[in-house]
Amino acid sequence: MKFHLSHLQAMLLFALMISMAFGFLSRRRPLDRVKYIAWSLLLFLLFGIGIGWAMYPFSR
Amino acid sequence: MSDETQIAADPPRDNKREARAIAFGVAGWLVPGLGHALQRMWGRALTFFLVVGVLVFVGAGMRGNLFNSQGLDAFAALGYLADLGTGGFYLLAKYIELGGPDVSHAYGDYGTRFLAAAGVLNLLAALHAYEAARGRKA
Repeated sequence: MKFHLSHLQAMLLFALMISMAFGFLSRRRPLDRVKYIAWSLLLFLLFGIGIGWAMYPFSR
Repeated sequence: MSDETQIAADPPRDNKREARAIAFGVAGWLVPGLGHALQRMWGRALTFFLVVGVLVFVGAGMRGNLFNSQGLDAFAALGYLADLGTGGFYLLAKYIELGGPDVSHAYGDYGTRFLAAAGVLNLLAALHAYEAARGRKA
């Protein structure tokens, strides 16, 4: 069994899983969990893509 | 002169409750989510089972490095501890990854991180189950 995920796919999956775990761990009410997960996922993606672009000039 | 100084007595420890909390923590480590399921926290139980399961399944499928006890440096030892955090899923990852790790590609390296993250998350969830059983937080 092999998975060949791209960089973006791996980051999306990782961010979603970690956000879900933290959301369920730290919040009790369903609405609070959804808000936390959405916010955490957004920050993961923003920082991931931001750091990716920040490294772009040095990649070649 | 009367001694007015009083030493605060420790609250009586409920050994039965403590033992139960430890059992829930260990159960949660062995099978992700079980510690919460035993306390009828179904949402958390299902989430931790799925999250740890997906991370292990995909991490091993990406041929990430699953560390063993024969690590030669501190990084390998820490990696082994993190991977062991997945509890029973460590064996599942070994079964999936019969071809061994391949970190010569980016996805293999990502797989290593997925496996380690799954282990650390499961340890966190097991600790949460333990604390919840002690009544400290829920």
